[in-house]
Amino acid sequence: MIWKTAWKNVWRNRVRSIVVISSVAVGILAGVFTVAMMAGMINQRVDAALNEEISHIQITAEDFRTNFDPSLIIKDADKIISEIQQVAGVQGVCSRIILSGMANTATKSTGVQIVGIDTENEKKVFDLYNKIIPGTGDYFETESKFNLALVGQDLAKDLNIIRYSIDTTVLRELKEGGVPEEVLTRLSVISGERFKSEKIFFKKLKSMFSKREEAKYGQIIKEKAWSYRKGSRLILTFLDKDNNQVGAVYRVAGLYDIKNSMFEKRTVFVKNDGLKQLAGISEDSFHNLIVKIDNIDNTNEITANLKRKLADYEVLSWKDIQPDLAMMTEMVHVYYGVFMIVILAALAFGIVNTMLMVVLERTKEIGMLTAIGMNKKKVFSMIMLESVFMSMIGGVIGMIISECVILLTSRGGINFSQYAEGFEAMGYSAHIYPQIEPLFFLEVVVLIIITGILSSIYPARKALKLDPADAIRTE
Amino acid sequence: MKVLELKDVNKIYNGSEVPVHAVNGVSLDFQEAEFAAIVGPSGSGKTTLLNLIGGLDKPSSGEILIDGTNLSKLKSSALIDFRMRNIGFVFQAYNLIPVLTAKENVEFIMSLQKWSREERDARTFELLKAVGLSDRMNSRPSKLSGGQQQRVAVARALASRPKFVLADEPTANLDSKSARTLLEIMEKLNHEEKITFIFSTHDARVVKMARRVITLEDGAVVSDDIRE
Repeated sequence: MIWKTAWKNVWRNRVRSIVVISSVAVGILAGVFTVAMMAGMINQRVDAALNEEISHIQITAEDFRTNFDPSLIIKDADKIISEIQQVAGVQGVCSRIILSGMANTATKSTGVQIVGIDTENEKKVFDLYNKIIPGTGDYFETESKFNLALVGQDLAKDLNIIRYSIDTTVLRELKEGGVPEEVLTRLSVISGERFKSEKIFFKKLKSMFSKREEAKYGQIIKEKAWSYRKGSRLILTFLDKDNNQVGAVYRVAGLYDIKNSMFEKRTVFVKNDGLKQLAGISEDSFHNLIVKIDNIDNTNEITANLKRKLADYEVLSWKDIQPDLAMMTEMVHVYYGVFMIVILAALAFGIVNTMLMVVLERTKEIGMLTAIGMNKKKVFSMIMLESVFMSMIGGVIGMIISECVILLTSRGGINFSQYAEGFEAMGYSAHIYPQIEPLFFLEVVVLIIITGILSSIYPARKALKLDPADAIRTE
Repeated sequence: MKVLELKDVNKIYNGSEVPVHAVNGVSLDFQEAEFAAIVGPSGSGKTTLLNLIGGLDKPSSGEILIDGTNLSKLKSSALIDFRMRNIGFVFQAYNLIPVLTAKENVEFIMSLQKWSREERDARTFELLKAVGLSDRMNSRPSKLSGGQQQRVAVARALASRPKFVLADEPTANLDSKSARTLLEIMEKLNHEEKITFIFSTHDARVVKMARRVITLEDGAVVSDDIRE
């Protein structure tokens, strides 16, 4: 009867209850959706790091990571790779040469890490072959008499390999993309001009358009206007294994885009064979062996196993190579919990206020209930249940709406392309796919119930302090 | 059979400069199935005496014994439980729970005492039939007249077969017809259920119907008339 009475009391003042329930629902929606966005960003970052940058486990010679000394190599790599592939849970292994050097074009130069890869084995571990910008080349399939390089899009911009120009094709594509005729007319004034860099191009656009037009159409104009010439020349210089300065001319055979500006600016991929010859590294030797495993949860176990087998080498998991990522994934549940607690604490004040009004309005009734024999525990339970019911209804509605919103947005993602530069500078994609684990909803339910209970304590104590004889006489 | 004894009960309020003797040396006994009215001018201590008998207030001195149990000796939680099982209340302002139907209001106390569903339903139906509201069982108080609400309150007060029912000005907010109907029902239940009714009242109709009239003045009993 207490449950029934409490439930009915919630709807005694419908408007007030709906206001409280709505505030809880909106708070939960905001909290859960924000957590889903954070989770999506973090999961995307981890996936990108594992699939495109570092994979799960890396093996190098001792002290190689300290200063990337090219003479510190792994010899008899084939034998070691064979051993690694015997370990349960290993999905793929690839080998790399890593040299620090400079990338130079006619107009610019910058420090880079030159990574020699085996294109076939690379596909077993990394997703890089899927990240080549269409139309820029087919690095993984191309054979050539020239040395070929795969360059990051942002590095290509820095080295002025990417140019910007407006021509009839670009204008047509912009028109198909929904850019108004009036904008296209103004844009056609610079048709035929080639802009060496993004900075110069954007400066020109700024002078031609208003801020609002730039914000609205700038991104699509940039995407359509950029171009580069396949086979652009790039000179890579580095120190070989004997610390001699070496250089070679490469032709750009593709641009990759992994939405990580820092990585793209500093990493150039070339083929192992040619690089080894230039660096004086023998056939079966590499700087880095990279292991992909089938289940990330087994990282620690497999890493320990490989450490035992390969005691002469340094074996590091992704958690050791990028401890910030490890921290994010391990601490993330704590952050979510704290975030939700803060939101619910704020909501609790509203619930406390409402319940205090409820107790005040029902002073006479509570006095009567005590008079006819309702003990303190039951009075407390009734008020607590009202608070929990309101919190739960709001919470459930909030969770249902947030799940719907997450389902909708997780398909197409949320596009923050106008902030792409900022996102990619930190290694995050500007296209976020919110994600939430079902277990999180259970945690939220528990937090909501706790909030309802805690919010009811003070009002219930006020109710228990009422003298029934005085309460009954209340007007 | 004695259901209620008051032995030299006093209640003194020390709030202002001069202490107020609200109840002054009252000694009374009540038997089973009595139909008694406590009368007196405003401020004579009627409501205070009823609150003391009902355990809603503690006497400054003296004893109140219900079926041999001294109310003053009971701790707070035990007192509430004792009240629930032994005393029924009918208030001037009905004080029904507005969100519950007539049926749910009557069975509320029985559910607190963990009666089975069958027992609750049977007793509720019996009482609502006795007060003439078996066709309004599923109506909320807002859909009932004042007289009907007070009849539901009487049914509620009798639900757990208490030793006695305390009714504080039960007819004060009713029109004459409703008041008469209510009193007839209460008298009938008094006979049928053998439950003692103790009224605090200004209403002459109640006084006329009562078989015992206790007059209070300045907190003390000035007369105690038992009528045949």
